Amino acid sequence: MIEQLTFDVLNDEQKYQHFMERINRGEKIEADDWMPDDYRQALIRLISMHGISEIMGALPEKEWVPKAPTLNRKLAIMAKVQDEMGHGQLLLRVAEDLMKPLGKNRDNIMQDLFSKRLKFHNVFHMPSPTWGDAAVIAWLVDGAAILSQTMMLDTSYGPYGRALKRICQEESFHAKHGESLVLSLAEGTDKQKQMLQEAVNRWWDALLMFFGPKSKNETGHSNVDKNIKYKLRTKTNEQLRQEFLTKYVPKMKLIGLDIPDKTIRFDEDKQEWIYKEPDWNEFKKIVSGNGPKTNERLHLRQSSYEQNEWVREALGHISSAAVG
Amino acid sequence: MKKDHHESDAFYEEFEVFSKKKDGSPIQHQFSLLAPNEEMALIMAKENFFRREPAVDIWVVKRSNIRKLAQSEKEALKKLDKPYRETKGYADLNRRWRAFKEKGKDEWLKGEKEA
Amino acid sequence: MSFSEKNKAMTELLYQLADDDFIHAHRGSEWLGLAPHIEEDVAFSSINQDTMGHAAMYYKLLEDLGEGKADDLSHRRKPEQYRNAIILEERNGSGEYLESPQYDWAFTVIRHFFYDVSKKIRLESLKQSSYEPLSEAARKILTEQYYHLMHWEVWFKQLMTSTAKARKKMEAAIFKVWDDFGGVLTLGPYGDEMVKAGLIEDEEVLKTRFTERMQKYFQSVDFKLVTEPQMKRGDGRAGVHTPDLEHALSTLSEVYVSDAEAAGW
Ligand SMILES: [Fe+2]
Ligand SMILES: [Fe+2]
Repeated sequence: MIEQLTFDVLNDEQKYQHFMERINRGEKIEADDWMPDDYRQALIRLISMHGISEIMGALPEKEWVPKAPTLNRKLAIMAKVQDEMGHGQLLLRVAEDLMKPLGKNRDNIMQDLFSKRLKFHNVFHMPSPTWGDAAVIAWLVDGAAILSQTMMLDTSYGPYGRALKRICQEESFHAKHGESLVLSLAEGTDKQKQMLQEAVNRWWDALLMFFGPKSKNETGHSNVDKNIKYKLRTKTNEQLRQEFLTKYVPKMKLIGLDIPDKTIRFDEDKQEWIYKEPDWNEFKKIVSGNGPKTNERLHLRQSSYEQNEWVREALGHISSAAVG
Repeated sequence: MKKDHHESDAFYEEFEVFSKKKDGSPIQHQFSLLAPNEEMALIMAKENFFRREPAVDIWVVKRSNIRKLAQSEKEALKKLDKPYRETKGYADLNRRWRAFKEKGKDEWLKGEKEA
Repeated sequence: MSFSEKNKAMTELLYQLADDDFIHAHRGSEWLGLAPHIEEDVAFSSINQDTMGHAAMYYKLLEDLGEGKADDLSHRRKPEQYRNAIILEERNGSGEYLESPQYDWAFTVIRHFFYDVSKKIRLESLKQSSYEPLSEAARKILTEQYYHLMHWEVWFKQLMTSTAKARKKMEAAIFKVWDDFGGVLTLGPYGDEMVKAGLIEDEEVLKTRFTERMQKYFQSVDFKLVTEPQMKRGDGRAGVHTPDLEHALSTLSEVYVSDAEAAGW
């Protein structure tokens, strides 16, 4: 009998070996394929966090949808926030398929979110008091997210890669949208420029924190190594942060923005940015679910989910009645 | 709060979404979504996956109606080369045609001389 | 009919069309991130964008008629200058939309469904409008109306025929919307002039089409309603509005009016 036909009779160790060989050959793992528990858990953690971050991330931006100044801006930001919800949808589907063998579905993800068992990018859950914040979120927060998502495009998990491909295509619109918002303020009145600068000051630390600490020394634990071993990601936190600074600091200076870090400079010898580290103790607190606006926004999400329970119940009832 | 798991499961049914980009192109898989039934799946599919991309046709299929391959079945799809059923198995044709052409030229030249 | 009479009828009609879509799209977009289902959240947002886009088209027609810049028309008028129907300005539910909104999905489904049924009827009529740019716009907008209507029809039928709890909520929403839906169907104080100028068909004709259509939908889900749609809280077409509109407008224009010197945003 041909060797490939005998996959089912392999023991777990052989299956693991077979799995690692596939990954190292650059093959993509699919949802129904055999995978080590460790890999499944790493994927669930990474992708559900990513998906929920998109959905929760829509909430601070949504505050600016009605307030967007012109008809055209209203349309564009609506489309942008909708895309973020759409990214959440794509990613949750990927996570849900991974959780299905464990007997979990979307409802469980939501419950985990509400009980704070499921983490998301809390660093972005800060107050966004002005239109300047909307512009900075659209330009720099999205800019940071684009870098980390692009890095994972070649991930070993096929369904995640396909979702990321769709997401990154849409992000290229988000990048232009963000630039357009920022440029309009930078070209504008003193009041508009000031609004932009103040927003940059508010978001700077969060942007640096978003990429995570350099090594686990700063926070005590990190899943980066495992994610690299399983080819889920290809760059370290610090590599991404350096890329971010290289991409955005010169542009920020060009439009007359002050970087809220007097010490920042590019070291020609080391070929890297030297910058003031954000407060990683603060980071630890925020990551564990205590961002300035985390509770408020969780509450918003939870109360709307619960108030609409009757809708899901009603339609679930039709389907189960039709089947049963 | 107690949850009726049966009904929450029934609301979150999996549907696979397929579409045809333009006339003449094949139907392609796009992504999946959760919906309580086909009608709902359809109205959601359109806006979840075709906000920008064009589509001239959209299908939604309940995932439980799809017979998929198990991993061992997928692995068994790898097969030995069958050159006799592919064009690359016939790479010698050019050389053979060329030989006939060369020979034809010689024959023709020979005829010229004799005449 | 004098030029200025015709012009007045025309701008009044365009304000009705623009303001209806503008405020309706706004109420819809407040659901962003809060809809009962993530897939629905995404789908609903497309409808709101389309509708806001329709409003922008109408405001542009007003701009072309010399009424002022489209952005000023949508963001700088006083509440009493708005011509939208009152039912469309009503909040989605109690509570602020950033803090503990108690949004009512049944109300939203009913309001959107009824509105899209009436909008389609109105657009079919506007296709024959004597004002060429308006009939052109109506033709364009109609292309997007098919799926909007389908969307809300599916929601309407399924929720009406599901659980007793859902049915009760839906019926309450129907009665609530019906009480003021007359405000959407009326053409307001300049209706006769609009009809005389050939801009749109008579209000009664459109209303009959609407109620006949609705009766069919009601029958399909075993529901009866014998009364006509009312206009209990007044005629938005005549500038009568509720505090909900004022509240919404102050949010919608907060940034736009915040810097008088700003040349662009
Ligand atoms: Fe995103
Ligand atoms: Fe984005």
